Amino acid sequence: MSASANLPAALRRSPPRGWWGALLLVATETMLFAGLIATYLYLEFSSKRWPPLGVEKPSVALPLILTGVLVLTAVPVFRAAGAGLRGRLGEATGMLALAFALQAGYLAVQIILYRSDLHKFSPKGSAYGSIYFTMLAVDHAHVIVGLLLDLGLLYRLRHGLSRYRVNALRVVALYWAFVGLASIAVVFTQVSPSL
Amino acid sequence: MSTAASPGARLHRGRLDRVWTERPGVLGWLTTTDHKKIAALYLFTSLLFFGAGGVEALLIRTQLIGPGLHVLSPAAYDQVFTMHGITMIFLFVIPMTTGAFGNYLVPLMIGARDMAFPRLNAFSFWAYAASGIFLYIGLAAGVGPNAGWFNYVPLASKAFSPGHNIDFYALGLILNGISSTAAAINFIVTIFKLRAPGMSLNRMPLFCYAFLAVSFALVFALPALTLCLVLLELDRMLGFHFYDVAQGGLPLLWQHLFWIFGHPEVYIIILPAFGIATSIIPTFARRRMVAFPLVALGEVLVAFLGFGVWAHHMFAVGLSTIATIYFAAASLIIVIPSGMQLFAWIITILTGKPVFKTPLLFIIGFIVFFIIGGLTGIMVAAIPFDQQVTDTYFIVAHFHFVIFGAAVFPILGGLYYWFPKVTGRMYHERAGKISFWITFAGTTLTFFPMHIVGLLGMPRRQWTYHSGLGWDIYNLLESLGSYLLTAGLLLIAANLIYSRFRGAPAGPDPWGGDTLEWSTTSPPPAYNYAVIPKVSSPYAMWDKEDREEDARRLERGERVLEGGHETPASTVLDAEWDETLDMVSDSPHPILLALALALSFGARLLGHWTLALGLLALGALVLFSWHSVEPEEG
Amino acid sequence: MPELRRSARGPTRAAYPHARRLAVPLTALALLAGGCGNSPSTLRPHSRPAREIADLWWWMLAAAAVVFLGAIVMLALSWWRRGRPGLPVFGDRDDIARRLVVLFGVLVPLVVLIALFVVADALVVKDTGAPARGSTAMTIEVTGRQWFWTVRYPGTRAITANEIHIPANTRINIVARTADVIHSFWVPQLNRKIDMIPGLSNRVLLYANQIGRYRGQCSEFCGLEHANMAFDVDAETPAAFRAWLHREAAPATPPATPAQKAGADVFMNDQCASCHTIRGTSARGLVGPDLTHLGSRRTLAALTIPNRLSELREWIRDPQHVKPGNKMPGLNLAPRDLDAVARYLEGLK
Repeated sequence: MSASANLPAALRRSPPRGWWGALLLVATETMLFAGLIATYLYLEFSSKRWPPLGVEKPSVALPLILTGVLVLTAVPVFRAAGAGLRGRLGEATGMLALAFALQAGYLAVQIILYRSDLHKFSPKGSAYGSIYFTMLAVDHAHVIVGLLLDLGLLYRLRHGLSRYRVNALRVVALYWAFVGLASIAVVFTQVSPSL
Repeated sequence: MSTAASPGARLHRGRLDRVWTERPGVLGWLTTTDHKKIAALYLFTSLLFFGAGGVEALLIRTQLIGPGLHVLSPAAYDQVFTMHGITMIFLFVIPMTTGAFGNYLVPLMIGARDMAFPRLNAFSFWAYAASGIFLYIGLAAGVGPNAGWFNYVPLASKAFSPGHNIDFYALGLILNGISSTAAAINFIVTIFKLRAPGMSLNRMPLFCYAFLAVSFALVFALPALTLCLVLLELDRMLGFHFYDVAQGGLPLLWQHLFWIFGHPEVYIIILPAFGIATSIIPTFARRRMVAFPLVALGEVLVAFLGFGVWAHHMFAVGLSTIATIYFAAASLIIVIPSGMQLFAWIITILTGKPVFKTPLLFIIGFIVFFIIGGLTGIMVAAIPFDQQVTDTYFIVAHFHFVIFGAAVFPILGGLYYWFPKVTGRMYHERAGKISFWITFAGTTLTFFPMHIVGLLGMPRRQWTYHSGLGWDIYNLLESLGSYLLTAGLLLIAANLIYSRFRGAPAGPDPWGGDTLEWSTTSPPPAYNYAVIPKVSSPYAMWDKEDREEDARRLERGERVLEGGHETPASTVLDAEWDETLDMVSDSPHPILLALALALSFGARLLGHWTLALGLLALGALVLFSWHSVEPEEG
Repeated sequence: MPELRRSARGPTRAAYPHARRLAVPLTALALLAGGCGNSPSTLRPHSRPAREIADLWWWMLAAAAVVFLGAIVMLALSWWRRGRPGLPVFGDRDDIARRLVVLFGVLVPLVVLIALFVVADALVVKDTGAPARGSTAMTIEVTGRQWFWTVRYPGTRAITANEIHIPANTRINIVARTADVIHSFWVPQLNRKIDMIPGLSNRVLLYANQIGRYRGQCSEFCGLEHANMAFDVDAETPAAFRAWLHREAAPATPPATPAQKAGADVFMNDQCASCHTIRGTSARGLVGPDLTHLGSRRTLAALTIPNRLSELREWIRDPQHVKPGNKMPGLNLAPRDLDAVARYLEGLK
């Protein structure tokens, strides 16, 4: 049996348990985002003016472009996972670092936007403000968690690849794919009053 | 089987013992990752909360034994009835079924040596225990949750509940939800990946189907609860306006989100009980389940359909007629998968040669109560009737027949059924039967009159009532019933405690059970099975040749996996051997993470945001060092 | 607790013939149908919607009894035949057993459920929904408050609390709102309940086919005194109702006796007036119920105690003792002032 333990990870017939666990975590998080977006729409459909009087409509271009960047970072993340499966440490580390840099940049700009929005209107001013800022905060929190995962994994990759780390690369790729999709859903909800 | 101590078997068992034995003593319990020890922790903790919830129930019934009494003040009554509901649902039934029964039995039934994520499993327990303690600190401080278990806004908003009562509720349940989500993910992956090679999905015991369905329901339902609780706390702590109608918020948003979680929750409560029933019935009916595929399908369908019916809790709020009719129709459809299972159980007993031992008696009690609760459930899918009786004692009767009758009775039956496996000793059969009849009578007497008093117009959640409305006699009967029920439950406890020390030795398989757990010793060793069992049907224990093959393999040292904390992982559908997993061992990480989370929630409740964030960061550090020693695979 | 309820007048036995027609064999249910005369029982309906729901209940109960007994018979059979495997008649055949599961678990329920759905959710539901605009003779606005009911008659000045007077045999449009948390308006003998939700104006039909008094109660948990948030619906002849409404719309009777005058002074100058309105005086508070014609009401504090001088005095002296948690504070009035205020309020017929 110890023979099978030494099989290359790629030869496994079904994904490792860690990947399944991550998939289910992503499933439960998907419901969380679905709930947030449903809340947004329910509040919107029950209101007379959306956004309410005194709150300007959200800008469209910048959030969409930013989200595009975030979604594109899935490419290096998945390449890192693929490289890990093939045992290429350098490529895996490089791709993950590249993704991290882009994602961190994305987050920085988003935080600046968030703060500037807070100067324009408040989550305490209306239900619109409440759901707007909450939804974005949850989305950004997921990016922060992703960045921490990137960092933790880069830290472990210093010592080379192992089956565990290859699995971790696949899990992180799955996570970023989810964050990308969730961000698309969030950003379209966010800018919907201006469309 | 395989207790025969041949030299080969002894050698391998000795090695496995050395590999799997954990640290002894209190520290061992705090750091354990053994699913059976975690199950024991769940069992005793949830029993403790069952006791607390039971005392609350007795207080309620004593307050209502007659009209106009003052056993409890209104303020105390509100906390007591709210905590009764929260305790029984979140701190007793779900931890008992998934935590204790599921944890103990799912790995055993699928022939695995542990759960897929042993440390996550321990974390689930500690987070659950912390959430219970958290909620009870609120009650002990006199600021326990007091707006009912479904906690409608705006009653629960800051304007009408300025105290910390609701904060205890919201934060406690968020913590509880984290625990349940972790447990559910763990069950799904365990069932998907750790089944003994050969146990393809169609050969999996129905018990595991039930737990699979429940776990999926939890994964998809809990986020709605978490979300509505988070939004509530944002309203309460930061002055947001999700539920505040004056600023564009919606009180009904809470109801939708809560019941999107809350109705699947009902099936989360009873599906494990169905699983227990489907374990006990074939054993004592001495035959395989009739219509096995229909029962498996029924379990999954119930969990799935449960997501489409939430607004039937809201027929009186003034939704559009079209919406109410849709939700009524969807609610009626759930009757079909439930009916399939119900009649499969009954006809299995009817066509078998049933032996009416205590566990089967409890399952028959369960069937009777489930029929009553199910029938009243169908009635309240009739919109006008629901609009008449909702929020009355009729509903209280309905869901107690479902929750106490149909969930707790199988739990009690299951306690008797697996008692020999867990302790290695037999319970006292005659006392067991007497305890069944007392519990059965007590349950009927407590909850049946509630139907009547509800039809007579008594709303629920009243701290007192006036005499002369025709309600007195029924309330008196209910209260007397609750005392009788308590006596029955105490007799069960006495029987099990006595038998734990004085019971006759049970041997590995006292019942002629059908599932794998009966093939190992009672109690099972830390590694569960010396040989990874061979499986070729859902009634693995009745496949005698397979079990004999296991014994021969042990002799030869085949499929023993004694090199470390090893257990096989298999493919999801066909359960072909995929790889050998190196399981993590005991660790302080789980309890530390749970502690950091709980303290962070406490700090948040008291308004210390910096401290709360600091503790969260501490939790993140614990997570980072979770696998400081990497397992050899993922 | 004092006896508060008088029997709703009118026939009792003839009101629920189905109980006898179906001859339900359970003692408990016989008791239920017999009921006690004062019970706000859903099974003693006094309107068409309530009657239809009660009928629906009896039919559902009959069907449920058949299913229940059928299952019990099967379980009893399994005990009877515990030594013999297989089914009676069919023997030990898995295919038959499986078909029976499909028959009892799928096919029979399907037929029953479709029938129930059509009757309840397509037919009866029409009569319990909000009344069509224009189908009612008058509108009454009921507002739930922690823990009493404000009752307004649009088009008149009449405002009262906890007693809803209506003309019998008249379709009335109830507009149900809340001023604080969620409450639920429910008169079991007259119709289904309707929740009072912040921001919404829900409507429900109120109709009584007989002169009489029908008890209603809040049926959504609304905080400490949810239990003591009841009300009466008084269905009267149209003439009596018009007379009542006329009196109720009028401003308050001025105090007549010296004690009443002293009581009015205390009321206007102490804290009472900051929470209560007495139309025709300077008291215009909006926190508590309108007291303009308090003397004509039968009960105090939403049916908690009867409205007699001694109870009224006790209520003003220590409201928290009578109804713990309610929003009226004890004012520590001097005994003489207390008596005067009680006498003044008693005189507000």
